[in-house]
Amino acid sequence: MSWVQAAALVGCPGDEGDVFDETADESLLVQREWRNHMHRRVKEGYRDGVDAGKAVALQQGFNQGYKEGAEVIINYGQLRGTLSALLSWCHLHDNGSALIGKINNLLDAVGQCEEYVLKHLKSITPQPHVVDLLDSIQDMDLCHVVPVEKKIDEAKDETLCENNVEFNKNCSKIPSGMDCSYLEYCRTQQHAYSESPSLTWILEQTASLVKQLGISVDVLQHLKQL
Amino acid sequence: MAGSQDMFDAIVMADERFHGQGYQEGYEEGSSLGIIEGRQHGALHGAKIGSEIGCYQGFAFAWKYLLLSYTTKKDSKKMKVLESLIGMIQKFPYDDPTYDKLHEDLDKIRGKFKQLCSLLNVQPDFKISTEGSGLSF
Repeated sequence: MSWVQAAALVGCPGDEGDVFDETADESLLVQREWRNHMHRRVKEGYRDGVDAGKAVALQQGFNQGYKEGAEVIINYGQLRGTLSALLSWCHLHDNGSALIGKINNLLDAVGQCEEYVLKHLKSITPQPHVVDLLDSIQDMDLCHVVPVEKKIDEAKDETLCENNVEFNKNCSKIPSGMDCSYLEYCRTQQHAYSESPSLTWILEQTASLVKQLGISVDVLQHLKQL
Repeated sequence: MAGSQDMFDAIVMADERFHGQGYQEGYEEGSSLGIIEGRQHGALHGAKIGSEIGCYQGFAFAWKYLLLSYTTKKDSKKMKVLESLIGMIQKFPYDDPTYDKLHEDLDKIRGKFKQLCSLLNVQPDFKISTEGSGLSF
């Protein structure tokens, strides 16, 4: 957004609102017109640039996200398919209805896990870049109170937080980095507690159920990578 | 005459320069916006395919084991269809949205799966929505 600044610098204070000043030099009018025109050109360029950049990046982002989504979800699908196979096996061989109920419960649990992951995928939000934020703040002309060094510190803190959760502990000692690191920390904790354990839990339950059905746990061997 | 031509060139150049300056910044902004937006859409579409394919895969592998280990009367027809389904799934690049025969192959896999289910005389309910598994916008 440096052009906003540039445009602001070009404008001299006090020459606004005197469009009807009859004493004004004609060249001043021409100058102003030229300046407005160029300002408009920058804006037009910006808009064209956003459109072009977006058009190119959309498909790239789509492909990237597609791969991520497919890879994350496939394990859940495999587990669901396996449970369905066991369920249909039970139906065919008329096993006890207690076990059928159990399998149905596990299927529901996998469904919930999957939904959770999907929701997580949907809410991939843009990580605000510190540089962009600083840029915007500078453009808004609000930040002359903040000393440059401190800004760099904050930027460093936040980069560390993004890169490695381990740094959170160090970060949170510094007041300026606290908000970011705390949120990051919570998110990671939440991630760790409510996602993977339930999937391992379902797997464990499935394994014990398979034994109760009198089937070898080898029937689950294709799920090893989970 | 040459002078006014220079003047004209200068104006056009300035015009282009300012436009280009804005364009450059806009392009970067648009690129990161596009990546984010595209990723969100892509993740959902990829997850749909991954979920469906994973399901068929888990189902097929489990049934293959059950048939091989727990049935006395070996049914070669069932095994043949089962092996063929597993082969199709393993060849299927489920995580590649640029694969041009993705829909075609997916339909074949669905068909084979249905065939297997009717042979096995089972009706599994995966609750899969098969709509909207598109590849791009």
